[in-house]
Amino acid sequence: MSTYVRIRVGAERYAIPVGHVVEVCDLDPAGIVPVPGARPEVLGVRNLRGLVLPVVDLAAVLRVPRAAPPGGLLVAESGGARAGLAIDRVVGVEEMGEPSERCDSPLLAGAILSDGQLTGVIDVPRVFGALEAEGS
Amino acid sequence: MSEAAPDLSQIFRDEAAERLDAMDRALLACESGQPGGEVVEELFRHAHTIKGTAGLVGRDDVSSFAHEVEDVLDGIRQRGEFPREVASLLLDAVSALRALVTGSAAPSAELRRRLGEAAGQVRGAPRGASPAAEQPGGPGGAGAAGGAAAAGAAGGPGAAASRVLRVPAAKIDHLLDVVAEVVQFRHRLAHSAESGIGADSPLADDLRAGERMLDELRDTAVAMRMLPVATITGPLPRAVRDMARQAGKEAELVMAGTGTEMDRVVLESLSEPIAHLLRNAVTHGIETPEERQRAGKPRRGRVELRAAPRGSSAEIVVADDGRGVAPEVIQEAGRSGSLVDLLTRPGYSTAGEVTGASGRGVGLNAVRAQVNALGGSMEIRSWPGRGTEVALLLPLALSLLEVLLFERSGAVYGVPQASVQEVVAIREPMHLQGRPMLAVHGHPVPLADIADLLGVRAPRLQENAPALVIRSGDRRVAVSCDVLAGQQEVAVKPLGRFLGGTTGYLGSAVLGDGRIALLLEPKTLATGIGRAPGPRADAPADLPRAEPPPAAGAEAAAPRERPAILVVEDSFTVRELQRSILESAGYPVATARDGQDALEVLRRDPRVGLVVTDVEMPVLDGLSMLRAIRADPDRASLPVVVVTAHASDEERRQGVEAGADAYLAKGSFDQQALLAIVARLLGR
Repeated sequence: MSTYVRIRVGAERYAIPVGHVVEVCDLDPAGIVPVPGARPEVLGVRNLRGLVLPVVDLAAVLRVPRAAPPGGLLVAESGGARAGLAIDRVVGVEEMGEPSERCDSPLLAGAILSDGQLTGVIDVPRVFGALEAEGS
Repeated sequence: MSEAAPDLSQIFRDEAAERLDAMDRALLACESGQPGGEVVEELFRHAHTIKGTAGLVGRDDVSSFAHEVEDVLDGIRQRGEFPREVASLLLDAVSALRALVTGSAAPSAELRRRLGEAAGQVRGAPRGASPAAEQPGGPGGAGAAGGAAAAGAAGGPGAAASRVLRVPAAKIDHLLDVVAEVVQFRHRLAHSAESGIGADSPLADDLRAGERMLDELRDTAVAMRMLPVATITGPLPRAVRDMARQAGKEAELVMAGTGTEMDRVVLESLSEPIAHLLRNAVTHGIETPEERQRAGKPRRGRVELRAAPRGSSAEIVVADDGRGVAPEVIQEAGRSGSLVDLLTRPGYSTAGEVTGASGRGVGLNAVRAQVNALGGSMEIRSWPGRGTEVALLLPLALSLLEVLLFERSGAVYGVPQASVQEVVAIREPMHLQGRPMLAVHGHPVPLADIADLLGVRAPRLQENAPALVIRSGDRRVAVSCDVLAGQQEVAVKPLGRFLGGTTGYLGSAVLGDGRIALLLEPKTLATGIGRAPGPRADAPADLPRAEPPPAAGAEAAAPRERPAILVVEDSFTVRELQRSILESAGYPVATARDGQDALEVLRRDPRVGLVVTDVEMPVLDGLSMLRAIRADPDRASLPVVVVTAHASDEERRQGVEAGADAYLAKGSFDQQALLAIVARLLGR
């Protein structure tokens, strides 16, 4: 069993290992400064207590259709880098089993199927790696 | 000697007295124990400065005796060991030097002889070389040669000691200011000269060469602001001892790596945070002597201050062997993120104070804010019962930039002040081929809305909106915006890894009101490289040049977007020369330092339509890069021009086999030939 932060991205459910989660807050779209010319997944940068934090739309990274604008911001950390992930909302923090279901996405460590619900487990280092790769 | 001498020599006597006092104190410490390298360094510096200033005020007698003292200290410095008897000899010498400075007595011949002998001994016998041979050396100080460590500390006779000059910080700051002024002046000079001369006249070349030298001068001046961490740590051991006493504890401060150099401004802003961390370590970390004894630790607590360079950053660690953070706190940190986030959470510290078991907490938030403001970061590690470690990672040099801020459609942007020639109000723009132009001092300058340059939507500009005339190389562009937001010195923060592929930004800055300003590269504004095409026809890549382009690229009428040229060259001078030739012919230019770098640029910049490359380069040479390009199905047909130092037949054969489209010898390199080849390969 491991602890995950469970989130909603569009209509889908995802979980992020708690060790990669620095904090969770409201998105505050007004505080996000767009960076013209950046790759489309990057919504911009925001000031997080003096740090310039890049904000990335997780729905765009995962290619999940989104009906409403994102409402929450989850600050994730991996390999010394931090990024704000724009999500729909946080569902909660929960102990869950290991991601037993295989899935083809390079951005997921796997998936968990329980009570008829499918939850994708996000592989934060890989997501960061994809964001660092050459611009799209 | 001049009549002004009396004043000067009084200043000299005062300063020398201060330095001799300091030498006395240091030598007394040497007598009671083996001193660290810093003490020897300090002694050497004092003797050296006394020697130098004495020479300046015409006191050659003092200068030459100080030199003899310095010689001994230099030897000790290189040897890495301080023979104890030499301390008493040097104390005698300091007294003699004092008498000589005040003019009451000259040093005895006997003393001078002993100094000479000691200098010979500390220099002549590298430690561990042959201890037995140097034993009979006489009273001067052979007895200390027993140590086995520090092999290699002594340089050979040929190893030049690096001399240190003490210069008041204000002088360096003044130098930097003057250099910045000169850089600006050079811009103005180029501006007034440009109307009279063409871009390819010898005078224009001289101006460009001057710019490169100025850049080097500025870098050198900036490097002079680097100071060792030791400059701020002097009072700390005493402060730690006193703080411990007040709290009824025992603690000693152990310092390491204080020779690590950092920008003076960064260092000065660190004094307070470091003092704060030390206070926390002593008052919250270290336990009372009784508590420590019960826990099986020595009564006296140990606080460490360590500094070490880490690439372009420096790490400063404040560690203690005290009680550490309570296990519950560490567990909570594991749940909610990192320890540093938990302990710096506003309001958290007071909660921790109540239990008294947090071992940390007061004002950490303020420390973190200060470190962040310097562009650094902070980490905390703690082991319950064993201690806590706070690590600060700081930039070696503070990247301060004087910027002019302006706003457009609610967003704040900044450009380096040095690139802004002037600010004008837009009145009656003219048009050339449908593109707006602005008359600036009788010369047409392309005009563009910053929103269009960046490709963002924005409401129409007001009448008489301000425009910044920005200069980069020999190009100028007038950039219009809603309103100017003032001039400010800001700390440049990188946009970070996830925005690494986005070109055109110097970085970002957090302004006083918490807003983020995007700092724009003048060059990108002036040339439009790396910008997504804007919604309007006057996207920057199409901006017509203010001056008529040279013959090679004359027909600027039709092309929507000219292909960019990638210049690959490890020599900065050659690279900049080629860049300026190609840019003045109207081509957008990207540059790379070596083949690897070039492949990187090609991967992320699809507009590169031609490559000009050197052969001999570090990391990945030109021909290997060429083979990699040819092996890539998407770029197999990309035209590549190879520029080589000696175009031997063998080299040409290799180049042709690797797939070069054209050759250019560096020896016969002329800009018309380059432009002709480029035009041919691009089919113009």
